Amino acid sequence: MKLSATSTLPEVAIAVGAQLRRHGITAVLTGGACVSVYTDGSYVSKDADFVIQGRVRQDDLDDALAELGFVRTGDRYVHSDVEFYLEFPPGPLAIGSDLAIRPAEVAIAGDVALALSATDSCRDRLAAFFHWRDRQSLQLAVAVARHQTVDLEAIRKWSRSEGNLDDYNEFLREVRRSD
Amino acid sequence: MLVKNMSSPFGGLARTRVLVGLRLLESSFPRELSRVLAVPVSAVSRALAGLERDALVAGRLVGRTRVYTLNPGYFARPELSAYLLRLAEADAELRARTAQLRRRPRRTGKPL
Repeated sequence: MKLSATSTLPEVAIAVGAQLRRHGITAVLTGGACVSVYTDGSYVSKDADFVIQGRVRQDDLDDALAELGFVRTGDRYVHSDVEFYLEFPPGPLAIGSDLAIRPAEVAIAGDVALALSATDSCRDRLAAFFHWRDRQSLQLAVAVARHQTVDLEAIRKWSRSEGNLDDYNEFLREVRRSD
Repeated sequence: MLVKNMSSPFGGLARTRVLVGLRLLESSFPRELSRVLAVPVSAVSRALAGLERDALVAGRLVGRTRVYTLNPGYFARPELSAYLLRLAEADAELRARTAQLRRRPRRTGKPL
């Protein structure tokens, strides 16, 4: 897929993930860009975060992304035509203390990439709410739960294991309020 | 240059001391850490930047100051926290310095 100034964040994120896959690099989309994917672009982040699985040489990553037009600048990759940038935060892929994350395949415009599942994207934002009391993150978790079918029981169990059952109940009230 | 008198399992003495200091103080900023750890503020800032890239610490702006804590989202946060506390037990001087730091509120206008 050719990226341009009109490419949406979900389109860019999935195109990048698919490009990395073609180069044998396993990278999982996380964070706000994942929320954007699961809310049909209703939330727009400025960047797309990927957590790389396994060992990858910097040159190989640079080369794969250069084919899409991304150039490494410091810790991020920028594109002359695309307003979103890419970052690769350190792994492991985890949500809170949960390391047993099974990425999902997400397809947009013929590209297929790995991303957190909708349930895990929801948990990912809730983790930020739990840890930082960030109300925006709570609203993003609610938005994912509104747009997608998520496993509320799994989220409840995880919230309890993180010691945040009260916060989960607040999340659930918000989800039901917005139904 | 000081003789190395404690282990630095996190890659460098400044990185290790910053982490131990943050564990004891819960949250802090570069100048305060520099004073408490007796490490130049430039070294503290460098250590914090590296630790933030490694997701071990997280910083956020409070007013105009960037305040750091151990990253609550780090997957091994409880284990890291316990390990740093154990390292702190071996550093009596650092514990004494952090204990001298006043953190409780002081009423506005009350003389220092």
